[in-house]
Amino acid sequence: MNQSFYGFLLFIFLVVPPVANFMESVMVIHMHMQMPMLVIAGFLMARFFKNRFPGFFEKWNSNGVPGILLFVIIMVYWMLPRTMDEALTTQSVEVYKFISLPFLAGVSLRDSWKKLSSFGKNSIIISFTIMFLGLGWLYIWSPVQLCNNYLVIQQVTLGWAFLTTAIGLVVYLGYNFFIDPSAYE
Amino acid sequence: MAAAIPKKIMETTNKAMGISPEDAKITKSYIFVAFMALLIGGFLGLIQGLNRAGLLELPSWLNYYQVLTAHGLLLILVLTAFFTIGYFYASLSHTLGGLLPKVRRIAWVGFWLKMVGFVLAVIPILMNEASVMYTFYPPMAAHPVFYLGLVFIVLGVWACCIGSFIQVANWRKNNKGQHVPILAYFATGVFVLLFFALIPVAIEVLVMILPWTLGWVETINVMVARTLFWAFGHTLVNIWYLTAVSAWYVVVPKIIGGRRWSDLLTRVVIIALVVMNITGGFHHQIIDPGINELVKFMHVFMSLAIGFPSLMTAFALFAVFERTARRKGGKGLIGWWRKMPWGDVRFLAPFIAMVAFIPAGAGGIAQSTNQLDQVVHNTMWIVGHFHLTLGMTVVMTFFGISYWLVPYISKRVLTPQINKLGVIQTWIWTVGMIFMAGAMHWVGLLGSPRRTSYTTYGDHATALGWDPYLMCLAVGGTLLIIGVILQVYAVINMMFFAPKGETEFPIAEEEDNATKTPYWTERWGIWVVVMLIVVAMAYVIPLTEFIVNAPPGSPPYKTW
Repeated sequence: MNQSFYGFLLFIFLVVPPVANFMESVMVIHMHMQMPMLVIAGFLMARFFKNRFPGFFEKWNSNGVPGILLFVIIMVYWMLPRTMDEALTTQSVEVYKFISLPFLAGVSLRDSWKKLSSFGKNSIIISFTIMFLGLGWLYIWSPVQLCNNYLVIQQVTLGWAFLTTAIGLVVYLGYNFFIDPSAYE
Repeated sequence: MAAAIPKKIMETTNKAMGISPEDAKITKSYIFVAFMALLIGGFLGLIQGLNRAGLLELPSWLNYYQVLTAHGLLLILVLTAFFTIGYFYASLSHTLGGLLPKVRRIAWVGFWLKMVGFVLAVIPILMNEASVMYTFYPPMAAHPVFYLGLVFIVLGVWACCIGSFIQVANWRKNNKGQHVPILAYFATGVFVLLFFALIPVAIEVLVMILPWTLGWVETINVMVARTLFWAFGHTLVNIWYLTAVSAWYVVVPKIIGGRRWSDLLTRVVIIALVVMNITGGFHHQIIDPGINELVKFMHVFMSLAIGFPSLMTAFALFAVFERTARRKGGKGLIGWWRKMPWGDVRFLAPFIAMVAFIPAGAGGIAQSTNQLDQVVHNTMWIVGHFHLTLGMTVVMTFFGISYWLVPYISKRVLTPQINKLGVIQTWIWTVGMIFMAGAMHWVGLLGSPRRTSYTTYGDHATALGWDPYLMCLAVGGTLLIIGVILQVYAVINMMFFAPKGETEFPIAEEEDNATKTPYWTERWGIWVVVMLIVVAMAYVIPLTEFIVNAPPGSPPYKTW
């Protein structure tokens, strides 16, 4: 309950217009801080829903695959330049962002992650790494401005953020692959 | 059973250094070099102080900027790096049951790489070909050999980092499921930080500065170079600090006869400092051009976040002091203070170091604030600040450590005479630093610039008004050189002449009713990934801006 409450507080904090306006004013903060923080808020709030509707998650997400699929779809959707633009210009899409990221992506990630096998987990991380490399390439070397709302320099910055995040993921995968924690723990 | 195992480990490890003179020799060599650097660097500091006060005109073959560069390099790089590595290698050897032969070899390779690098860097300084000061900011360009020396120093430190990782990994393999002993944990944190902090400065020197000074490329991107420098520079500052903090948490409680307060809190402080540190570098550039206000604001937030673990440290340490003193019969709100071992230099020096960190940290917070920093950034205030932080908080802790570490590695004892000398040295150093750093802060507020030799600006009234403070600075500097001589004398005495005997490596135990530390504190892989993500968050926006919207760049300049 405590955790869910903090998640809710974080969600409210992110929704407050000055905070939302500030975070959306910089492209990389919009995509790489606001959006993940919304997912984290949902991730924290998930415990409330799992306690409230245990049967629902058991019935529809018994092996974690449907949940993680929903998570991936929501994440991919919000990584498109077009959708970010829309969130800034159309009120209803903005509302959808604040609902979909915590409640559809965050909650389902929390419920699914532990249910996945290590193969499933690694596949998800690897596919996100590849996706981030591709998006980094797209945003850095795109010859045109992809978002009406952001300057090209912001787009390039976002591209580098994608690439550095991908590097972070590769480091993590390498660590996971080469280091066997059971040898140390 | 549970109590029996640690006791057995303690017994075997207590012998470890004793039975391994090879390990002691490594630390001895590192510490010896560190204090020789202090001796030479101290005299160079005195020359600078006297020059700034207008009391000493330097000869034509030795200019102020040359002295400043050597003083900075010796004390900021050599003293601190050699002391930190020597101290932590002794800690690793002591708490992890002796160094592996492989690790010992790596430590020696690191030692000689650093020495070679250091000699290479000093030659151009002596020839007045590298008076670029210790920050070596482009577009000031030194002789390429100076930078080549820096590369060797970086390689040497990297070797020591890798050696420590191998040592810790090996211990963990043999002691599955156990927490790494606390001093070795500190060492891991420090070497993780060193390893990653050296990457940006290696890129700066190898990829940007060397080709530029060799004439292979014509211009350099000054802002990128400065940013890479401070990603390293600020982390280095906190590496010294973390080293000092390790002694506060682990050694000082033992010396005053107390226990460590909270193992979990200690480890969380280390993790927090490691994760958040590198990003703090930007506050050194807070009045640099080309960074927009939003980014500067974000970095002020990130810098101040580093202050939080320091507040946790202050809380934990004063909790230890009060508990211990009360257990010894100390009474009253502040009466328990009298129960502290004020006559023991191993306590007194680190204690004054901690107290100095209160104004030093507060000054640091003031400087991280854009508007306040604009008043003091290019003035003597900053010089005062880092003499308070490095010269007092860090170095006095190092001095305090030396009074047990040096006898320990030399198989000698701390005699009452040397202890008394140490207490006198501590007070001389304290008074000297209060005079010098205090004067620097004040004269900085009045506008006296840093990084310049003495001038009255054509007898301008404002500049003449600085003179009394600069005189205070020289008085403080003179006291400090007395402190340096006493300290180096004490170290040489304890290393080679003190009576033979056994000295304890003081490591405080946890409280009896301490709660078990959760195992996630041992998962360094995760903390390193979190650290890399935080670094990316901090640096991607400004670096992209600097590189994509780069100005034409600058050719090398020799300004001296």
